[in-house]
Amino acid sequence: MYLTKEEERILSGYEGEAKALAIKTLVKVGEALGAERLIPIKHAHVSGISYGTIGEHGLALLEELVEKGARVEVPTTVNPIGFDSEEPSLMTQIGVRLDDEFIKGQMRIVKALRAMGAQTTLTCTPYYLPDTGFLKPGDSVSWGESSAILYGNSVIGIRTNREGGPLALMSAIVGKTYYWGLHIDENRKPTTGFKVDHNEPLDEVMAGLLGKLVAERYAGVRPPYVKVALRDELAVKEMLAAVGAAGSLAMIYLDGITGPSIDIAKLERFETIDWRELASLYEEHKPSEKPDVVFLGCPHSRAEDLARLAKLLDGKPTPKSKIVITLSRSEYRRFRESYPEYLGVLKEKAVIVRDTCLIVSPFGRDDRGLTVVTNSYKAYFYLSKRGLKVGLSTIEDMIPLLYM
Amino acid sequence: MGTIKFHGRVLNPGSGEGPAVVEEALSFYGEVDPKTGTTVSGKTIHGRILVIGRPRGSTVGSYTLYGLKYYSRKPLAIIVESEADPILVAGAILADIPLFDKVKGIMERVSDGMIIIFKDTGEITISSDG
Repeated sequence: MYLTKEEERILSGYEGEAKALAIKTLVKVGEALGAERLIPIKHAHVSGISYGTIGEHGLALLEELVEKGARVEVPTTVNPIGFDSEEPSLMTQIGVRLDDEFIKGQMRIVKALRAMGAQTTLTCTPYYLPDTGFLKPGDSVSWGESSAILYGNSVIGIRTNREGGPLALMSAIVGKTYYWGLHIDENRKPTTGFKVDHNEPLDEVMAGLLGKLVAERYAGVRPPYVKVALRDELAVKEMLAAVGAAGSLAMIYLDGITGPSIDIAKLERFETIDWRELASLYEEHKPSEKPDVVFLGCPHSRAEDLARLAKLLDGKPTPKSKIVITLSRSEYRRFRESYPEYLGVLKEKAVIVRDTCLIVSPFGRDDRGLTVVTNSYKAYFYLSKRGLKVGLSTIEDMIPLLYM
Repeated sequence: MGTIKFHGRVLNPGSGEGPAVVEEALSFYGEVDPKTGTTVSGKTIHGRILVIGRPRGSTVGSYTLYGLKYYSRKPLAIIVESEADPILVAGAILADIPLFDKVKGIMERVSDGMIIIFKDTGEITISSDG
C-alpha cells in the first residue's frame, strides 16, 4: 500500500503507540483486500460494544488503547449497550436480570470509549442524531452496525464499508480508512435490479420481508437496484435493517431515494419479485398467539413512531401484553419536546428504555419460552435465533394483539 | 517421509514451528473460546499452528482473537488456505499472531499433529514425519 510521509510517521510511532497500532491494523486489512491507499474520513460509528458480546477481553483491548493514549481524530458515535445507562433497573421490568459484573464491565467499556473522545450516544441509528447532520452525500465515513451502514450508503449517500468490530474504532483513531469497496464510485453502481410487481406502498413489515428476500436472492457485490414503493420512513428503515441482518450487503440502490439517479435501461439483469411470494411470507411470519412482549425499536425508534403508537393507545385500557420501546436518548428528548401530549399515555402503557435494545441486552436468555411481536424483521431474525417465538406485525396491527 | 513446501501471502510476519490443528471453516466468535484456547469441536489451538480452510462469521471475531492473547491462549500462527477476511486480519494484528493466507492446496496435505515450519518470507513447510 502507498503511504504518505505523514502516514509513515504515524506507523513508526511518532504520534504514539495507539495510533501506530490503529494505522497498522488499517494498512494490513487494506493490503489483504488489495487497497492502494488510505483516505480521510469525516465520521466514525463504533459497533460491538456490549459487554455481553465482547466480554472481559474486549474491554481489555479498549482499556489497553486508552492506556496507550488513543484519541479519536474525527467525530465518533457509538452503538447501544446492554441496558439503560441512566436507569439500569428499568431492565428488570422487561425481565432482564443484570448481574454486577455485567453492569460494571459495561460501564467500563463506556468509560473507555469516552476517554478516547467518542460521543457515547449509545444508539444504532446515528443517522437520526443531530451530531451527524453535517455529513453530506459523497463523504467517506467508517461505520459499524449493519443497519446504519445500509441507511448511510443507501439513504444519506455517505460512503462506508461494513466495518465490524474494532475496525471502525481504529479508523476513528487514525481519521482514515482504506480506499476500497463502497468508497470507490464504480463499486456503488448497480448492475442488477429487482422490481416488485405491485404498486401499493409496502408497510414496515412487508418492507422488511422484501429486504430479507433481496439479501438472500442476490449474490453479487455491487449494490442491487430495487424498485419498490415504501409507505414511509419507518418502512425504509426496516427494509434496510432486514437487508443488513439477512446478508452481507452494505448498500442497496433504492429507486427514488438513493442518489445519484441511474439509467435503469443499462442494468444487466432485472428480476421481478412476485407479490404473492411476499404475501405468503407475511402470512408465515404473522403472530399466532398472545404475545408476552410487544417490541418497537429495532433499529431504534424515532419520536414519530412513538407518537403513532401513543395515538392508537390513547383512551384504550391497560394492555395485557408488555409494550417495550427502545430508542436513543436524543430521540426520547425530541419525543418529549415535540409530542408532550402523548408522553403520559406511553409512560402509563409502555416501558421506554434508552441506550439499549432487546438484541444487545440479554433479553430472553433466562426465559426462552417468551412470545414476542415486533414490526422489525431484524429483531425477528436475532430473537428467533435466541429461541424466542417471534411474530411480525405493523404498529397498527399490534393494537388488537395487546388485548388478546 | 519427506517434506511438502507451500507459499503463502504474509499478512502478519513471523517465524516458528509447531504441530498443526486443522479446521475446515471457523468463526472465531462463537466457535473459539478465548479463555481455554479451544474450538467448538474440542481441539486445542493454544501453542499450535491453526490451519483453516476458510474463515467465516461475525465481526466480533476480532475481539475473540485479541482474547486469545489476553488469556495467554494464542496459537503460534494462523494459516488460511483461501483468503483471510478483515475480521481475521484485524484480530491477528491486535493479538500479534503471525498470519498467512492464500496457501493453496494445504488442506489436502495437512492433518492434526503434523509439524509445520513457517517463515517471514511466506514459506510454509509441512514435515509429515514430525
